Amino acid sequence: MKRALNIARGPMVLTLLLVIVLMSIVMVIAGTTPWEGFASLLSGTLGGPREIAETLAQTTALLFPALGICLAFRAGLFNIGAEGQLLLGGLTAGAIGAHFAGPGWIAIPVVLASGFVGGALWGALAGWMKSRFNANEIISTLMLNYVALYLANYLVSGPLKSPVATGSETAPLPPSVWLPALVPDTRLTVALLIAIAIAVLLQFVFTRTVFGYELRALGEAPEAARRNHVNIGRLTWLVMGLSGAIAGLGGAAIVSGELHRFNTQLSPGYGFTAIAVALVGDLNPLWICLAAFGFGILEAGGLAMQASANIPEMAIHIIEGIIILVLAARRYVTTRVEVPAV
Amino acid sequence: MRGIRKAYPGVVAVNGVDLDLYPGEIHALVGENGAGKSTLSNIAFGEVKADAGTVKANGSVGLVHQHFELVGRLRVWQNIVLGREPRKGLRIDEAAARAMVTALAAKNGLEIDPDAFVEDLPIGVQQRVELLRELEREPTVLLLDEPTAALAPAEIDAFFATITALAKRGTAIMIVTHKLQEVIAYSHKISVMRHGELVAKLDTYSTSVDDIARAMVGGDLPPVAEREPTTLAPCLTIDDVTAGTGAARADGVTLQVQSGEIVGIAGVEGNGQTALADAIAKMIDYEGVIGLDSKPAIVPQDRHREALVMSWSIVDNAVLGRQHDPGIQKGLLLDGTRARRDAEAIKERFDVRAANLDVAVKTLSGGNQQKIVVGRALIDDPKFVLAYNPTRGIDVGAAALVQSRLMQARNAGAAILLISFELDEILTLADRILVMYRGKVVGNFTRAQVDRAAIGRLMAGSAA
Repeated sequence: MKRALNIARGPMVLTLLLVIVLMSIVMVIAGTTPWEGFASLLSGTLGGPREIAETLAQTTALLFPALGICLAFRAGLFNIGAEGQLLLGGLTAGAIGAHFAGPGWIAIPVVLASGFVGGALWGALAGWMKSRFNANEIISTLMLNYVALYLANYLVSGPLKSPVATGSETAPLPPSVWLPALVPDTRLTVALLIAIAIAVLLQFVFTRTVFGYELRALGEAPEAARRNHVNIGRLTWLVMGLSGAIAGLGGAAIVSGELHRFNTQLSPGYGFTAIAVALVGDLNPLWICLAAFGFGILEAGGLAMQASANIPEMAIHIIEGIIILVLAARRYVTTRVEVPAV
Repeated sequence: MRGIRKAYPGVVAVNGVDLDLYPGEIHALVGENGAGKSTLSNIAFGEVKADAGTVKANGSVGLVHQHFELVGRLRVWQNIVLGREPRKGLRIDEAAARAMVTALAAKNGLEIDPDAFVEDLPIGVQQRVELLRELEREPTVLLLDEPTAALAPAEIDAFFATITALAKRGTAIMIVTHKLQEVIAYSHKISVMRHGELVAKLDTYSTSVDDIARAMVGGDLPPVAEREPTTLAPCLTIDDVTAGTGAARADGVTLQVQSGEIVGIAGVEGNGQTALADAIAKMIDYEGVIGLDSKPAIVPQDRHREALVMSWSIVDNAVLGRQHDPGIQKGLLLDGTRARRDAEAIKERFDVRAANLDVAVKTLSGGNQQKIVVGRALIDDPKFVLAYNPTRGIDVGAAALVQSRLMQARNAGAAILLISFELDEILTLADRILVMYRGKVVGNFTRAQVDRAAIGRLMAGSAA
């Protein structure tokens, strides 16, 4: 009897090789040699303390939503809405942070917590829609991204618009609620450490807690979970809520660490790139930290390559897009291998 | 077939088998799961290519699969001509096709309504359609893979009458099966496979079920644990329960299971057993009353989908369904030490053959997987156990062990509801036997008054 065997899970090394080959091709098309292109990429991202700090800042921005996505995907819930959850987290953090005066040791946690709650509500909404109405979470989270964007657009150009700014943004945050920078005068803040701590915590949750156990059961074998006392409805909105919360925390970290106000240009698509980050990291929180660093290099390197090697920044996004396609495909790449019918 | 050999990664499925089939002869191929029967029949049919050896046949070979390959929403005649429809221009010549099917059915003595939709037909009739489809090609050799797995006893008799008539007209027939009673009753020759090799060739008239079983297992059958006297006390009360939808629903079922007894529900697949089991497990809504004062321990019917997380280790699976039990859940944490200890206990008590407790259960044989499922259900000495086909598709040794452990749980005072499609299993284990047909309990026997023939008639829907 023949049966399709899944050989999907390719190692990260292959992905890396593929990226290098693709980038070389793009560089040749853009009229430089791969050698020159990679040299400018590396010097632009890892060439000095400021470059490294910028790369790590990009890493941080991707790491939060990627960890949120990881949590949901491990439960078999395809949360495509990290972008909207991140945006709403940033919005609540900006709205509350601007009006919260107090010493940093209390104000910063409050701002981060409000981002956490904002993202959590947005994620839990999709989770609730799934458990209550059986709404497909891929569709609902994707659509909620737009709802989040337009909601935020409305609020920052209306009720929450800063009285002092000309553009559409919230009132600035007082310096006491700014996240401390790790390297002075860069965008790299303590948020990186928070994200890494969350990764470690997630790994602990997956391997040691009943919540993590049930979540993995739901992801690997939903029918077995249902028949073995896993409360799927409750778990679904809880996981989606926490998933959104982690992404929302990422939004709050950008607002309080970098922009010091909220506007809808907060994210150039971190929530979408983070899907690729989570998949390249094989949905393992610790590998995802590494994958986020790799994507951080790509994101930060785009500008550097444009400046020094004359490769358009968009080329980087093309490569990221191809990586996502390859990852999506490799989950379905099957080969027919004969296995005994026993 | 000469010197047939076929290896798959990690296992030699068939190793140097010679087998001859003769016109007019019904040849039974028996063996445990994984012995290589299916592989050998697929090689004979040409669906699987052998690594070595030759297959020669005078004429064509037909194969009737265990799981029917019919299109439910097409009519009988459409299914039979599927793939070689008589044509009239671009259209199917319906009149010719229908006439062809009617003639074919008459010639083989198989009664059939060519215009019925296949999905509306009982399993036994669907099988006739499947058989007719193969017979239309007039095979000189006909292979039947577990042909009676889903049939009621009366349908089985009718089926073998057809097969015997077919053999008399000169077809060579090979039946792959594990039902030894049928082998004795209807075959002429028997080949026994074990671990990919042909270990015995027997003439049916000079052998017995015990001889065949010994050849299959390679020794004496492990005995099932003794039935001991118990004190009965009410445990599960089901009163007028209706659940599920359509033909396979449970319809006003009333029954009791007491502590210290095994109640067996006999019946052909699809007569409401699944709906009843799902209602007891609280997996579906139901009307009526199900009275049970403890958490039921459940051995579900589909171990791959419903009982195990196949990619997980034995340790992780050992606490599935028990993750909230005190002693396993410690605050927010899952007690990994306890999980490992329980996995070790299950492995010990049920003789689970695995290199260690951290291997994924999908790498284990079906028998060992089922031992984990049953072992987990029994580990906390439950008051009530629902066992649905607990030995289906597993080897004889594992089956005997599972049956023994169920009997021991009963002896220790558990109330056990056993739903099984294998009448023999129910006759071996049950203290009382109920028969389900079309969602209703149509028969009730104590162990003392068991009448195999009467149960068989009830299973097929006729009055006892």
